[in-house]
Amino acid sequence: MDFNFTADENAFRKEVQAFLDAELPSDKAFNHEFNEDADLWAFAFEFTKKVGAKGWIGLTWPVEYGGLGRTQTERLILAEEFTARDAPMVNMIGWGLAAGALLVGGSDEQKKRFLPGIAAFDRFWAEGLTEPDSGSDLASLSTRAERDGDDWMVTGQKTYTTWGHHADVMFLAARTDPDAPPHRGISVFCLDLKAPGVSMSPLYNMAGGRQNHTFFDGVRVPGDMLIGEEGKGWSYIMNAFYAGGGVGARHIEMRVMLDAVVEYCKATTRGGGLLIKDPMVRSQLAELELMVETERLLTYESLSNATNGRPPQFGGALGVVVSKENKPLFAQIMSQIVGPLAQLRQGSRWAPVDGGPEAWYRWSYANHAGGTSQVKRMVLATRGLGLPR
Amino acid sequence: MDTTLDDSHDELGRIARQLFDARCPLTSVRQLEGDSLGYLPALWAEMAGLDWLSLTYPEALGGSGGTLVDLSVIYQEFGRALVPSPHLASAVIAGETLVQDHSGNHGDLLASMVAGDAIVVPALMEPDAGFGPDAVTMAARTTPAGYRIDGTKVLVPYAHVAERLLVATRTQASPDGITLVLVDPATEGVAVTAMANIADAPLFEVTFDQVVVPPEHVVGEIGRGWSLLGPALDRATVLRCAEIVGAGKALLDLSVAYAQERKQFGRPIGQFQAVQFLCTDIAIASHLTELLCHQAAWRLDTGLPARREVALAKSYASRAVQRIVHCAHEVHAGVAFMVEADVQLYTRRAKHWEYDLGEARYHDDVIAAGMEV
Repeated sequence: MDFNFTADENAFRKEVQAFLDAELPSDKAFNHEFNEDADLWAFAFEFTKKVGAKGWIGLTWPVEYGGLGRTQTERLILAEEFTARDAPMVNMIGWGLAAGALLVGGSDEQKKRFLPGIAAFDRFWAEGLTEPDSGSDLASLSTRAERDGDDWMVTGQKTYTTWGHHADVMFLAARTDPDAPPHRGISVFCLDLKAPGVSMSPLYNMAGGRQNHTFFDGVRVPGDMLIGEEGKGWSYIMNAFYAGGGVGARHIEMRVMLDAVVEYCKATTRGGGLLIKDPMVRSQLAELELMVETERLLTYESLSNATNGRPPQFGGALGVVVSKENKPLFAQIMSQIVGPLAQLRQGSRWAPVDGGPEAWYRWSYANHAGGTSQVKRMVLATRGLGLPR
Repeated sequence: MDTTLDDSHDELGRIARQLFDARCPLTSVRQLEGDSLGYLPALWAEMAGLDWLSLTYPEALGGSGGTLVDLSVIYQEFGRALVPSPHLASAVIAGETLVQDHSGNHGDLLASMVAGDAIVVPALMEPDAGFGPDAVTMAARTTPAGYRIDGTKVLVPYAHVAERLLVATRTQASPDGITLVLVDPATEGVAVTAMANIADAPLFEVTFDQVVVPPEHVVGEIGRGWSLLGPALDRATVLRCAEIVGAGKALLDLSVAYAQERKQFGRPIGQFQAVQFLCTDIAIASHLTELLCHQAAWRLDTGLPARREVALAKSYASRAVQRIVHCAHEVHAGVAFMVEADVQLYTRRAKHWEYDLGEARYHDDVIAAGMEV
């Protein structure tokens, strides 16, 4: 048992901090109101390319595929430092989902063809999993890919394509065998979003971002854009994110926000006393502190299971449930602490903590991304605890 | 980075579980409710033989140099099996306080505790039911014969079988003014009265009426008692959390097993998501308590500051244990309300654990104080 990072790991943390000092002006960080601002996007692209040039996008991938072969622990440290500074590293679908699927199921040829490009951020990837009628029950997806000679013809619709209108290609899950059981008939592809037959219509979310409906009307996908093997897409999707090195450091995001709220409570007088001295506020701050701390420990536990070759406990679902359910709860308690001004957003000079509580409250309902907490609880109950389906 | 127990811990846990299963099954736990002793002397002697009464003491004092993490593994099994025992009061709080005493006056007492021959229990809480140094108000006044103490302590565990009481008294108004004294409960002026309670646990009111304590019965320095007691209480708090973890795991096992076998509406109730979600709540509450508990224990073992981590663990554990028993009752419904069910054994003890060594509110404030600076 050891809750510390090693000296080498701490040295890497310093290296990441130095990189951020040099490359990330604070006014260019991802912020609560990250939206369609062209300058922010231009900077995010430029910044992500610099991360790629350092080799850090593919930090944990094998060297022969454009990676640096470094450890999961270092990947978490990178995530922690980037999160602490709201670094605008985009293309998570590329380096998380697509690269992960390739690492899990891609052929050697495919890995060599795709991964170095993803590691350098040559293209922006959009997600193509969710459909209007297939959300939690993703395996029921109905977008079809049918063989046409060596190529595939794709017809159907995806939805919630976050930032799809900025993307070059899509990590697409489509049904290639309608006669197989739902989980076995799915394959994944790299689909060119500029190809004839692709169209998008915008969907705006309440956090200020643009998602999209994406329509495919007989889109031709070359045969060599099938990722891994035909019919194995589901298992790639399930294992991809972690394989690609996608680790979250949400505890750091919460830490930064909570620290700012504590400063607000120390500086704000209400009802004749400082907020920080109000026993109810103190209890609520302690509750938030516990959310941050338990999520941090869950992250470190999952890391130490992975690096020590142990299978995740509870079917890997316990931490996900906690994190998803904490998200809105954290935002709500934070708003309660701050009080009525917490409805003010960035732009009002009265907005507390730079509008953070208001923005977090809106953002917190994006907690369904990657599966609802109810679905994750079902996984925890059945796979984790052995309860019957 | 590895947040997980080592193989040696797993082995220690197995030994503890086997021992408690064999010597203290739940039938014994039931018999010990309201029993005149309230613990199993044979098991106590056996634990002395295993060095478990002095596991974390320095070797020079009869200890085996074990860690708090080691002891927390044993405490998970205490909690799982609901072993009634003065271990936390005597071997941890009183013992670890005496270990830090350098007066040379209490070596024989400690040796006798290590051997399993003497039980010493702390008498801390007063009728206002507060916890922490500020809550110690019982005055010890200087007289020619020593200190004279008058007042009442409540919720004193195992006072009826204690060789000595470790009493926290106030000798000065300042925060530092706490003096610890050892009092023989047979002393003139000391009265020990059982307090009827939810788990029929051996908890006592102890009154002191003009009790005179000779100077050599002081533990540590005059006015500096909390500097010995505080660290011992932190360690005990972590172990109480470990006990809650063990109880949580036991209730998870009971609830999952019941949800698998109990059929209503033609299927196991564990197929209903409402029941599944109750079970997942138990898993989450126990597991997060365990992570917080391990972190606090590890920090104490490593010599790192741990006030915040101890408070985080107990603040969470105090609420978690109530969440856990609540969900176990919801899964079991009417069955768990019956005395013959095992669930209710945990439910009734959970109340004591929730409050003991500081309730959630107390530790919330410690956490907030840490955030304030």
